[in-house]
Amino acid sequence: MSESGLVKTGIKGLDSIFLGGIPRTNVILVQGVTGSGKTLMGLEFIYRGITEYNEPGLVVVFETNPDKIIRDAAGFGWNLDELQQQKKLQIIFTSPQVFDQELRSPDSLLLETASEMGAQRIFVDGIGLLNLGLSARDSVHGGYRELLQQLIESLNRENLTAMLSLEVGITRVSIAAVEMADFLADTVIQLGRERDGRRTRRCLEVLKSRGQDYEAGEHTLQITGSRGLEIFRRVQAPLRANSKQPTSSTMRSVIGVEAVDTLIGGGIFDGSTTMVVGVSGVGKTVLGTQILREGALRQKTRGLLISLDEHPAQIVRNAQTLGLNLEEQVADGTIQILFESPQELDIDSHYARIIQLIEKHDIQRMVIDGMTSYSTAIGEVSVYRDFFHALVAYSKQRLMTTFFNYENPEFLGISSYMPDFPLSSIVDNLILMSLVEINNSLHRCISVVKARGSKHSFDTREFVIGQGGITLVPLEQNLAPELPLQSYSSLLSRAPTRFSLAKRINGAAAVQVKE
Amino acid sequence: MELSVQNCLDGVGISLLSEWDVLIFVHRHGASLTSADQIARLIGYESRVVSDVLDRLEREKLIERSRPSQGVRFYRILTPTDAGRRRCLQQLVSLSESRAGRLLLTKRLKPVPSEIRARTTIG
Repeated sequence: MSESGLVKTGIKGLDSIFLGGIPRTNVILVQGVTGSGKTLMGLEFIYRGITEYNEPGLVVVFETNPDKIIRDAAGFGWNLDELQQQKKLQIIFTSPQVFDQELRSPDSLLLETASEMGAQRIFVDGIGLLNLGLSARDSVHGGYRELLQQLIESLNRENLTAMLSLEVGITRVSIAAVEMADFLADTVIQLGRERDGRRTRRCLEVLKSRGQDYEAGEHTLQITGSRGLEIFRRVQAPLRANSKQPTSSTMRSVIGVEAVDTLIGGGIFDGSTTMVVGVSGVGKTVLGTQILREGALRQKTRGLLISLDEHPAQIVRNAQTLGLNLEEQVADGTIQILFESPQELDIDSHYARIIQLIEKHDIQRMVIDGMTSYSTAIGEVSVYRDFFHALVAYSKQRLMTTFFNYENPEFLGISSYMPDFPLSSIVDNLILMSLVEINNSLHRCISVVKARGSKHSFDTREFVIGQGGITLVPLEQNLAPELPLQSYSSLLSRAPTRFSLAKRINGAAAVQVKE
Repeated sequence: MELSVQNCLDGVGISLLSEWDVLIFVHRHGASLTSADQIARLIGYESRVVSDVLDRLEREKLIERSRPSQGVRFYRILTPTDAGRRRCLQQLVSLSESRAGRLLLTKRLKPVPSEIRARTTIG
């Protein structure tokens, strides 16, 4: 459908759920329980119509005092009084019976008002009350259906795009009434308010919309004090197919961190995803910081660091202690840091914020530090998996190079890369960072265990963290009083066995001699 | 304070409690598409009282009414053109937002004769 045939609601996030808008003159039914945001959605539909699309509108209320509507709207910064004075808005208080009668009347005052002000939108709050005016027998035997049909017919005749709110659960025949209204309306939006643990969560689902496709499923709805409603597309919804979408790239970029570039074969493909697995304290965050900083300084790529654990100021300070100055990059916007508390994390809105940041700042390199906090915050395996899949798919679509840090809980030996949520098969590259105990000291080492499409090294290399971040210990350099790392086997098991140097052939351990 | 309230009531041209109740109903509802009967039911007066009051308020140019349609009309508040009268109305509306103010208004306004009054609400 062409853009002109669509009405944009102007409600943040809702038009993209409808893939651009709702077909003009569709009768939109918004149904839900008390407190789910129906009235607010209707008011915002009218307010945005006037202020953003120059489409005057009417609001019809049966129970709510218009004074209170104006007062509540002011809380969102919407000056409805002013719009009424400008004759772009008219809030009408009436009874369901009068409203019904008016819509059928040839000399209807309501429709006359709509015509005089050039109204293109109308919001009727509480059509369930129309049912209350009917006798129980009428209500069950088609009276309510007929009434709704008349209402919809009148609205269509006047070329008004109507939004009607229906409270679920107030009328004596509520189930039948809801089903009837659902059937007659062109577009049905279901709003929900549910308990999620001890918090309340609002959600939105489009049940149907004639004449168009839309994003199905349950999306997150939030009420923001300073703006109004905001809808966040559910993370699980797959990306829409786009012929321009790049599937992969043959461009290989240098990461700028020697430890990674050397082991992975000179750089990684643009748009690839890399999982960095290691125990706490091994240096994953340092590596992530270094990757972003090198990208911003030398590869001129804009970076994003996402953390659920550390505030931006703390991240900058910690990096500073290693001589990785992020202040300048954060100040000039070449590196963005997104911190969000894992407490009551709403994954849909969090994902939307990530996408907004990426698109706003044209991010090309992203580090998520770390995935373990997400698994704790999200709880549900399927949601966590979907979030991860969505990030990977989005990264690839944008050809953005992404690193996920994963804290492996196993300190002594790794039996699996990601024991709680096995997702390592999804990523292109897998880097292991381990602590190895040699004699009485811990050594850090790094290995690339997977790098799709790359001829990478299988060597496990020792690295140190110092000023400037991570650097590999030269192969032949014996910094410690012990033998170098290549003199041992079974490093990843964290129980290394030493070889005799004399038994090595071409640098590789051929014969194992325990000493 | 009381003198000032009386001055405001005189300035606006309101002397009966029923006049004030109907006026404040129309004021609060912005544009009401309704009938005198419906207003009477909502604020607890006899229909006849509300009809008379609506006539009077329209004559006083405090409200405007649309043409009738199927027994209903649009009722809207009119902002007085005279600055003094406008200020008086604003003061009275502000006063009616508190219980103390409403009690003060009740004292200053003449009640509706009991035989035609079902129930009186203020504010």
